[in-house]
Amino acid sequence: MKKIIQLTINGGPVEAAVSPNQTLVQFLRDDLGLTGTKHGCGLGDCGACTVILDGKAVNSCLVLAVQANGSDVLTIEGLAENGNLHPLQQAFVNKGAIQCGFCTPGMILSAKALLDEKPNPTEPEIRTAISGNLCRCTGYQKIVEAIGEAANVIRGREEL
Amino acid sequence: MLLPKFEYFEPTTLEEALRLLSELGGNARVLAGGTDLLVRMKLKVERPSQLISLRKVPGLSAIIPRDNHGVTIGPAATAADLSKNELICDRFTPIALAAGRLGAPVIRNRATIGGNLVNARPAADLPPACMVLDATLKLKSTHGEREIPVGEFFRGPGETVIEPNELLVSLFVETPAPWSGGAYIKLGARKTLEISMVNVAVLLTLQEPQGLIVDAKIALGAVAPTPVRAFAAEEFLIGRQPSEKVFAEAGAIGVGLCQPITDHRGTMEYRCLMIETLTSRALKQAHERALGWKP
Amino acid sequence: MGDYKVINTGAPRIDALSKATGQAKYADDFKMPGMLYAAILQSPLAHARISHIDTSKAKKLPGVKAVVTAKEAGLIKYGVSPARYDETLFAYEKVRYVGDEIAAVAASDLATAHEALSLIKVDYEELPAVFDMFDAMKDGAPQLHDEFPGNLNAEVHQEFGDTEAALESCDLVVNHTFLNKRQDAAFIEPHSCLAVYDTSGQLTLYTSTQVPHYVMRTVAMTLQIPVGNVRVVKPYVGGGFGPKCEATPLEMSCGLLSKITGKPVKMTYSREQVFLHSRARHQFYAEMSLGVMKDGTMVAVKNKAVLDGGAYTSFGIATVYYSGSLIGGPYKLKAMKYDGYRAYTNKPACGAQRGHGGVAHRACFEQLIDMTAEKIGMDPVDMRLKNIMTAGDITVNELDMSSLGMKECIETIRNGSDWNNKKGKLPKGKGIGMACGFFVSGAGYPIYRSDTYHSTVVIKLSEDGGVANVFTGSAEIGQGSDTAMAMIAAETLGITLEQVRVYSGDTDYSVDLGAYSSRQTLMTGHATKEAAEEIKSRIAGFLAEELGIPASSITFGDGIVKFDGAPGNFEKIRSGYIKEHRGWTDPPSGEYLTFREAARMAFLKAGTIVGTGKYKPHRLGGSYKGAAVGTSPAYGCSAQIVEVSVDLETGEITVDNMTDAHDCGLAINKMSVEGQMQGSLSMGLGECLFEEVKFDSRGRILNPSLGEYKIPTALDMPNVRSIIVESNEPNGPYGAKEVGEGAIMPTIPAILNAIYDATGVRINELPVTSERLFMALKKKAEGV
Repeated sequence: MKKIIQLTINGGPVEAAVSPNQTLVQFLRDDLGLTGTKHGCGLGDCGACTVILDGKAVNSCLVLAVQANGSDVLTIEGLAENGNLHPLQQAFVNKGAIQCGFCTPGMILSAKALLDEKPNPTEPEIRTAISGNLCRCTGYQKIVEAIGEAANVIRGREEL
Repeated sequence: MLLPKFEYFEPTTLEEALRLLSELGGNARVLAGGTDLLVRMKLKVERPSQLISLRKVPGLSAIIPRDNHGVTIGPAATAADLSKNELICDRFTPIALAAGRLGAPVIRNRATIGGNLVNARPAADLPPACMVLDATLKLKSTHGEREIPVGEFFRGPGETVIEPNELLVSLFVETPAPWSGGAYIKLGARKTLEISMVNVAVLLTLQEPQGLIVDAKIALGAVAPTPVRAFAAEEFLIGRQPSEKVFAEAGAIGVGLCQPITDHRGTMEYRCLMIETLTSRALKQAHERALGWKP
Repeated sequence: MGDYKVINTGAPRIDALSKATGQAKYADDFKMPGMLYAAILQSPLAHARISHIDTSKAKKLPGVKAVVTAKEAGLIKYGVSPARYDETLFAYEKVRYVGDEIAAVAASDLATAHEALSLIKVDYEELPAVFDMFDAMKDGAPQLHDEFPGNLNAEVHQEFGDTEAALESCDLVVNHTFLNKRQDAAFIEPHSCLAVYDTSGQLTLYTSTQVPHYVMRTVAMTLQIPVGNVRVVKPYVGGGFGPKCEATPLEMSCGLLSKITGKPVKMTYSREQVFLHSRARHQFYAEMSLGVMKDGTMVAVKNKAVLDGGAYTSFGIATVYYSGSLIGGPYKLKAMKYDGYRAYTNKPACGAQRGHGGVAHRACFEQLIDMTAEKIGMDPVDMRLKNIMTAGDITVNELDMSSLGMKECIETIRNGSDWNNKKGKLPKGKGIGMACGFFVSGAGYPIYRSDTYHSTVVIKLSEDGGVANVFTGSAEIGQGSDTAMAMIAAETLGITLEQVRVYSGDTDYSVDLGAYSSRQTLMTGHATKEAAEEIKSRIAGFLAEELGIPASSITFGDGIVKFDGAPGNFEKIRSGYIKEHRGWTDPPSGEYLTFREAARMAFLKAGTIVGTGKYKPHRLGGSYKGAAVGTSPAYGCSAQIVEVSVDLETGEITVDNMTDAHDCGLAINKMSVEGQMQGSLSMGLGECLFEEVKFDSRGRILNPSLGEYKIPTALDMPNVRSIIVESNEPNGPYGAKEVGEGAIMPTIPAILNAIYDATGVRINELPVTSERLFMALKKKAEGV
């Protein structure tokens, strides 16, 4: 039997009926058309489906949609504000941190969760924060550089 | 990957959760972080008819200091919480270290200590850490509650003493004595996102700085059907002056009680050799931390 | 190097924005009204006769729209190389590996499709199976294909010069063997396809592929639809690396089910199915001898290969040739002998993966060079430099190194890594190692025998003159080919990157063989350049005629037009443009005529402005059997130095840093070139240290997940220093050539040579897990 859930997604209220066995990633992609969240393995091994749930980066393939009832969910579609890219998105574009792009949404959200908690991360902290997000294209080099640059940009803004 | 169908319950009080457990019987499973259970359900290894989520039951994720003598940890405390909690890092180091090596951040943000214990995977990170700290688990059902030392909790791969109608409601860990230090070492293929080939947790207590070892606890994971304490090695250490040589000997003794298997992650022979090396290495690290103990 | 305005910079990719915001669509992101969900039934047994298939229960399940088996699909054989078509869409008579496809189902939802699969009853008669490539070639081994007795899928024997005599003349001959393990490409996006068969009889596939062209041909052939009625559209693709280089049962099933039901049909592989489909790197056994003179001169190489092919051929014929041909360089040799064998086994078929056929043998050879250098007391870098080929050299097997910055790459990394102060001087447990490699920049011949152009491109200017639309069938799979084509078009047309739009990956746009063998920058690049030049000459011709000046006086750059290098007198064009666009808000101004004005006025005169380009290589290679494999219009090359730390008590290896120099000709996009280098190194590191697809005793994959099949995480990768070494490739557009695969060739041997430097132990089997290295260290300590 379906259950009604109410939650906030990318800043807006959403009410929907979901089956208990529906995962959050299925709900986002299939029911809401938020296909920016990718499905790479379904087992929490790759991180492509990472979203921010109540401030924390999680694999949305290992969260039931019903478990997100009452929660605040941020997906890649909700990151840009007023049409302006988030500094992480801009840095990923500028630094060449994107190749095939399939890991990118999850990677950016894991990075955002890091910067929200630690605005001035060290390189090992950056690497640790994205260590559950696999990328087969980039060797992570430019991703790590981009997150470092985004951190600088965000800090620079806050100092103004 | 599709999840099989199941009924979902979201009790809002502990009493309700216990009642559901008791009424639904053996086909219900408790859902905490879901990082293990949902994977097993997707792989069709487990097919519970009902899931009882703990997310609405208040207080289960709390980490509460008990004056100066210990800490109570809620079963739904996440690995991320534990790895970053100052008190846990400071006084209950093996738990913080083991929690910090579980999976990767996206997993640690969901995985809970209760799930990691109750699932009883032989290679799990937190059981050895809880064992060296002599954690006590409180199990509750509608009929009552009981306390059980973590050392008596595991029965085999995926098996514990917990009854189908029981819920792990808290862990209590006594603060280690002054001049104690802990360590946790995990050996896997990659630097992260790993299931242990071997893991070792250690707690070492000195009489005084530079003094003799008055207490030693060593627990090993992925070397037997359940995590095991290396009692013989512990006894060997007690009363001795810490030294690399003593730690190495303890490591060699530790191997004696293990029956690791050969599987696709590693052979029995290598695992045994690594138990020896990593135990002595963990003892050394614990010793260094004990020397740096601060009141 | 020329003075370029667009190419040879590090411009952000043109698709980065849509990928950073989650707007980029991949195959599984598509949905259509009335769409059905499909699933495939795969064999649970490694080798069995199928005595009966009963689909009646599955067909009766509510929601099921179609169930297909070999009976419905037919028995048309397909594969990659027409010489070895050995697959049918669904198994008939027998299954040959765990995962062999038996049936497919389309249903109104995925859960129903899966339930239907469980209702299909297949009666099997289990047969003995063989899983090891050496066992498979023994007498009495279970046979997979009647047509290939002894399970010998292919054998290659080539000799250039008199190898035995050459080896005998050497001062020293050193031998080495090497064994890698079956790999998975582990792209993060699983295969996915949405098929739409419409009322006009046209089948359109939206599919995650590297090769829309080949998929179109194979699907048309197996489903018996005229090839002109099959259109393959590749949306964004989440990585390919080789295994998405051929038509899949997923694509053919979706096409067939859509044809039968008349509905759109979508299917996506689970991660386990990606492993079962495989088509990734083979397991290779290499046996090599290198003969040298005392002064370090290399003379001759003897090379033997045995490949575990799995149950079908896939790309395997090319693979087994590549293992030989790619040893021909980049060192001068007098003689070379190669014997290669590819065996069938009851496991998923192996195919092409980054560095196709060359990676394991390169690893063996580059270790062998270090071993030899040590024996004659020579620095390994010096030994390589002594024998290195340079531009214009032709290998013993007739590969033409029309440009080759190999020497520059070696010198660059030697200086960039402080080699001279580190080699042999690091403390125990720390080591430094180097290696080289090269790779084709586009296969010299198509997979099927044909005189087809390898790439054609159409550029159409928008009628307002503001945008050049590039239409190409080439495949952007993450490597950045769309951006490279946009940059080449912009550079050639003399406009800005923002004025170019690329429409790619669609068989209706043009012929392009696709993203494999590192071919698109060179081949599609040529066609793009030619198409852009045609447009440019048409605009210039128009202006020359209108203004009564010679076309040769007109140049284009940065979106403006110059006459003899100056603004010139273009009043007639501008006033005509302004008159035409009365009331528009953006009248042109400025002292120069803009490309937009010129293109708009040219359209008013002549109609839509279109330019076309095409490319196929000139005749390449020798005339011996198999000479085609390894030929290429150009070769990219790479040299790497790796530093490692080894935990001598556990065998754990940490790669501390990597320095890579790659000659890609002229770098069209420097940022993308670095990205390819870094990605190659990461894949090489994974293959060297962690990656292995493992099987149980019944042929079932033990680790079909990204948790247990371990690719490097961000914490396993060190900082990589990537240095672009540019040469001018005469056969490349603007002098450009490959980077996507050559860069992986040196990685494994560089790590292995560094491990040797750190420990004194020579590892000849991958992956170098902590256990493998520790046991080798232990053996050495015990003097065994």
